[in-house]
Amino acid sequence: MVSMPEAISAPSAQPSAGTRQKALPKTRPLSSSALLGLIPIVLLLIAWELATRSGSYSSVLLPSPMAVATVFVHDWSDLARHTGASVLRVVIGVSIAFVTATPLGLLIGRFPVLDRIMDWSVQIFRSFPIIALIPLAILFFGIGDRPAIILIWIAAFWPLLISTIFAVKNVERTLMKAAKVANASNALILRDILLPSALPSILTGLRLAIGAGWLTVVTAEMMAVRSGLGYLIMYAQVIFRPDLIIAGILIIGAIGLMFDQCVRVARKRLCRWQEGLVLES
Amino acid sequence: MNFLSIRDVSKVYERRGVPMLAVDSVNLTVAHDELVCLLGVSGCGKSTLLQVVAGLEDPTEGEVLIDGCLVSGQTHPEASVVFQEHGLFPWMTVVDNIAFNLKARGTKRDERQRIAAEFIALVGLTGFETRYPHELSGGMRQRVGIARAMTTRPKLLLMDEPFGALDAQTRAIMQTELLRVLETHPSAVLFVTHGVDEAILLADRVVIMSPRPGRIRKIMDIDLPRPRDPTSAEFTALVRAVLDEIHDDISLLAKQ
Repeated sequence: MVSMPEAISAPSAQPSAGTRQKALPKTRPLSSSALLGLIPIVLLLIAWELATRSGSYSSVLLPSPMAVATVFVHDWSDLARHTGASVLRVVIGVSIAFVTATPLGLLIGRFPVLDRIMDWSVQIFRSFPIIALIPLAILFFGIGDRPAIILIWIAAFWPLLISTIFAVKNVERTLMKAAKVANASNALILRDILLPSALPSILTGLRLAIGAGWLTVVTAEMMAVRSGLGYLIMYAQVIFRPDLIIAGILIIGAIGLMFDQCVRVARKRLCRWQEGLVLES
Repeated sequence: MNFLSIRDVSKVYERRGVPMLAVDSVNLTVAHDELVCLLGVSGCGKSTLLQVVAGLEDPTEGEVLIDGCLVSGQTHPEASVVFQEHGLFPWMTVVDNIAFNLKARGTKRDERQRIAAEFIALVGLTGFETRYPHELSGGMRQRVGIARAMTTRPKLLLMDEPFGALDAQTRAIMQTELLRVLETHPSAVLFVTHGVDEAILLADRVVIMSPRPGRIRKIMDIDLPRPRDPTSAEFTALVRAVLDEIHDDISLLAKQ
């Protein structure tokens, strides 16, 4: 093949044959076991146990792991009720954020004029610490579910919006050209090109959003609501139950982990086309 | 009768505030069933010219007419574009990629699937319908790209270095495949390439372009009968003639 100099730098051989390779029998190396994540947790438990046994802290202030474990047995119905209340608020708040932030992000990413209109505002509003908005939320919406859900919505809105905008702006230009030469409508471009292309990034935004929402719900419940894990923790302080406080904190962490795993699974399912394209989703 | 007319087309780009004449008053016509290759070193404006014809870029001066209609701001419905292999949507399966242009035209789902299946068979991708693009080889991806472009039964096929990223063997196969597909679905073709062999193998006419500013240096008719043999004396003589023509451009490029 006689080519002009341009070809010299052209990428060479593509992987040939489109047949899928046979999977090798899998022997999972230790380094990929999910159980590795338990190591720091077990170490922390041991340190905790040792600390209580050393006697340098009063067992009234620092209950032993066993004492906290019994809280889960004795107070399980209270814990379940408050956990349920918190989780429900987060699910509602983040869901509202998802259905509002994602379409808005797609539009802002698609139309530069919208981006110019919104950019400053986004940067200003996302800088507000949610704690600073709690007093206002109580004044506007009173005490109860409404202010909590609205605060979660606000907290979860920005990471979703920003990751969606970012993803849309980074869609490969050739793909946009391919859509344009097909004379695809804006609706089709948004739904079939921008949304799927941005989805991995949107789901990363969702992970951040759930994290932000989960932080917010606990904070909001400490001030604006009379139920939920945040309220439980504050209440436990008042009645001097450090074991209950720690139990509440542990649940918060566990649920946080659970949410995150759910989004990961969703991402694996929804972005199956990425398999083999990226290192890890 | 000319299907495509490029009249006095110039394109100026601004690069870091400095205007650059990418295409300088190009005149070119392509007939109904003609395959024209735009050949030149990088920076000669061949891809820019194709983008203008595709309606992806507006010309700074001049006009492009397809089937008597002025191209402006959008792709002519009778035209289809084949990009380098990166033009496939990675989240769509082979069949969805191929059916996309039809979907964009509002073709009903059943009809889309039927036509897509027809072209999947034509380009030899049967059995790979539900694969994603990254699961395919470079050559197969380009088959998908060609099939997608053909589904709307275009009368003008615009190809932007479609085989540029393929290895030599795959490229040779794809060139033959393209000619075979064009036999059953004839159309005018504007084919951008930097491969001299490729141009002479495929084209009825080779349009040699030279860089800075991008303009037409020479147009050569290729009268060799098909199938063409790249090792024949006539073929190599043409290769030499083309190389002589662009020798200055190559040495210019080498100096940079």
